[in-house]
Amino acid sequence: MASDTQRGDYSGTSGQTRLGWINGSLVTLALASLGVVVVAGLVQVSFGAYSMSIGQAWQAVFDPAVLTNPYLLLQFFFGEGIAETVAGAFGLATAEPELTRETLIVWNIRLPRVVVGALVGVNLAISGAIFQAVTRNELASPYILGVSSGAGLTILLTLVIFSGLAAYLPILAALGGTLAFVIVYGIAWKNGTSPVRLVLAGVIVSTIFGSMQTAIFFFANDIGIVQSAIAWTTGSLTGTDWEQVRMALPWTVLSLILAVAGSRQLNVLLLGEKTAQALGMSVERVRFALSGVAILAASAAIAVAGIVGFVGLVVPHIVRNIVGSDYRRLVVGCAFAGPALMVGADVGARLALSPAQIPVGIVTGLVGGPYFLYLMRKKQQLGEI
Amino acid sequence: MVDTNVSSNSSESANTASSSESANATSNRTNGETAGDGRNGPDEEPETEPVDATELVGEDLAIGYPTTPEPVVECDSVVIPAGEVTALVGPNGSGKSTLLRSLSNQLEPERGNVLLDGHELQTFGTKELAQRLGLLSQENEAPGSLTVEELVYHGRYPHRGFFETVNEDDEAAVDEAISLAGVEHLRDSQVGNLSGGQKQLAWIAMVLAQDTDVLLLDEPTTYLDLHHQLRVMEVVRTLNRERDVTVAVVLHDIGQAARFADNLVAMRDGELYDWGPPRKVVTEELLRDVFRVEATVDADHPTGPHISPHRAMDE
Repeated sequence: MASDTQRGDYSGTSGQTRLGWINGSLVTLALASLGVVVVAGLVQVSFGAYSMSIGQAWQAVFDPAVLTNPYLLLQFFFGEGIAETVAGAFGLATAEPELTRETLIVWNIRLPRVVVGALVGVNLAISGAIFQAVTRNELASPYILGVSSGAGLTILLTLVIFSGLAAYLPILAALGGTLAFVIVYGIAWKNGTSPVRLVLAGVIVSTIFGSMQTAIFFFANDIGIVQSAIAWTTGSLTGTDWEQVRMALPWTVLSLILAVAGSRQLNVLLLGEKTAQALGMSVERVRFALSGVAILAASAAIAVAGIVGFVGLVVPHIVRNIVGSDYRRLVVGCAFAGPALMVGADVGARLALSPAQIPVGIVTGLVGGPYFLYLMRKKQQLGEI
Repeated sequence: MVDTNVSSNSSESANTASSSESANATSNRTNGETAGDGRNGPDEEPETEPVDATELVGEDLAIGYPTTPEPVVECDSVVIPAGEVTALVGPNGSGKSTLLRSLSNQLEPERGNVLLDGHELQTFGTKELAQRLGLLSQENEAPGSLTVEELVYHGRYPHRGFFETVNEDDEAAVDEAISLAGVEHLRDSQVGNLSGGQKQLAWIAMVLAQDTDVLLLDEPTTYLDLHHQLRVMEVVRTLNRERDVTVAVVLHDIGQAARFADNLVAMRDGELYDWGPPRKVVTEELLRDVFRVEATVDADHPTGPHISPHRAMDE
C-alpha cells in the first residue's frame, strides 16, 4: 500500500496534509506484517503431499516463467474471461508456457491458499475496525451484530436441509450474515440507534440463531455433513483455490477503498454521537453506511473461509496499540496486520497436527483468547476506545 | 411540570403589560418588544439588531423526551439575542440543557419552532446548520491518542466535502481557534494526557474552528478549577466581542453568569422564570424562588450583581 511508495510529510501542520498521517510506527507495522506474510507464505508452500525441498518450493514461487507472464497472472487472479479480454486489448501472448512440476503444484495448489488467507485477513480486520468505531466499543468484532450467527444458520440450513443449493453456499452464507445484521438493526432502531442497543440486539439475535443452529445439527444424518458444517462455522482455508481468490478479491478491494475513504467519518464518530451530530454529520446514515461496508468485508471473508473468529477482534486492537486510534492509520495498518495474523495462523492450522489439518478458526481462537486475557490483566479499562 | 408561571394563551398580553421591575413577571418576551422598556445599562439591546450577528429564537416550545409522557420544557418564547452572550441558569433539572439541546436541533421539540435568523432549523441541511450553529455538549470523550490539533481539525467537518482535504481556510481557522482558546502550547499533546481544564479548552478550540455564527455551550465550566473556569469564560467573551458570535451558555454558577453574560435566562421547573440583563434578573427574590437559597444581592457591585448566599431554604 502506501507505506513503501510515499514518504510521510512531517513538516508544517503535521498529520493534516494528504499523506502527513503516515508515520513511522505505521510504516514499521506494515513492513513487519509484510515480512510475516512472506515468511509464513513461504513456509506454507514448502510443505505438502508432494515432497519438494524448501529451495525448490521457493524457486517455484519466484519462477520467472510465471511472474513475467501477465496473461498467466491475470488468469490466476481475475479468471479466464478477464485475462482473455485484457490480453486481447494489449496484445499479450496467450500461449501456455512450459512450467515445471514444482511450479505447477506451488502456483495451482499451495499459493492460492496463502492469497485467500491474506484477503480474509484484510477483510476481517477492516470489518472489525469499522464495527469498533460504529459501536464505539473496542470489544466489537465483525460478528458482534449477528453476522456470524446469521451466516452460520444459513450454512447449516444449506448443508442439512437445502442440500441442492450447496453450490451457492458462500453467497448464501454472506446473505445470511447480512440478513441477520438487518434484523439486528431493526430491533435496535427506536428513533435512531445507539451503540449499546446495537450490541444488545446483536446478542439477542445471536442467541436465537445459535439455538436454531444447534437444533439443525440434530437433523444431520451424515457425519461428513456435520464435519463440513463445522469447518464452515469455525472457518477453514482447507482446499481453497484461485476461484476463492477471484471471488473475494473485488470485494476486498472495494471495501478497503470504502474504509479508507470513510476513515474521517469514523474518526468523527469516535468523538461521540452528540459531537458528530453537532458537527453536521447525519449520524444514523453514516453509521448504517459504514456498517454496510463492514458487512461487505465480513461477507467476502465468510464466503471463502467460513466464520473465522477473533481476527477481526484482535487485529484492530493490536494495530490501535501501535499506531493510535486515527482511523486513516488504523485501516491501513489493519490491511497489513490482518493478513499477517491470518496467514501465520494458517501455517499452524495446516502443519501443527500434520498430516491432519485443523480449521484455521481454531488456531485464531487459541491465539486470540490468551491475547485478550493478557490485555484484560494489563489494561485498567478495556472496552471504550 | 406544572404550568404556574406561564399561561400560554395570555402570554401576549402579559408580555406587554408586565413591567420590567417585577421579578415575578412572566418574561416571555417576544422578539425585542420590551427591549426599549427604558432600562438603561451597558447591556441594553439595540433597537435594530446588527446585520452580521445571528439571532436564535424559540417559539411556543414544548420539549420532551420519548421516555417522558409530558414535555420537560415549555415556553412561549425564548430569544438568544444576536451578538450577545446569554446565560441559561437554574437549579438542577430545571430544563436548561434540554432547552439548549432543542435550540441546537439535537432534540426536536414536540411543539413549536426554533428559528435561526428567521428560518426554521429543520429547513437547514445538517452540514449547513453546523456551519452556522455550534454546540459543545456537557460531556465529551475523545480517543486518548488524538492530539489537540487533530481534535480541532475535526471542527472543520461541516466545511469539508467527503473527499476534500484540508485547505488554507481550514488551516487558518484551526490556527485562529487554537490561539483564541490559548492552547498553542498543547497543540501536539495527546488529549488523554491533558488535565480536565486543558481538555475543555481543547474542545472549545474545536467548536471555535467550526467558525459558526451562533455558539451553544452546555455547562462548559462545570468540574473545572477556578483558573480554567475563568479562562473558558474569557475565551467566550473574547469570541463574542471580536467575532460578534451569538453565544448561549448553560451555567451552574449564577454568580459567574451574572459577571460574564449580557443576558440571563432563569429557568424553573421547565419554564422561563425571568429574562433580562443580570442587574434586573439577579435578585434576592430570584434566588429564593428559583434556587431556594437565602441570599443578599449587591446590585450595585461594579462587576455586576454580587451574590452572598446565606443558607439553603427548606424544600
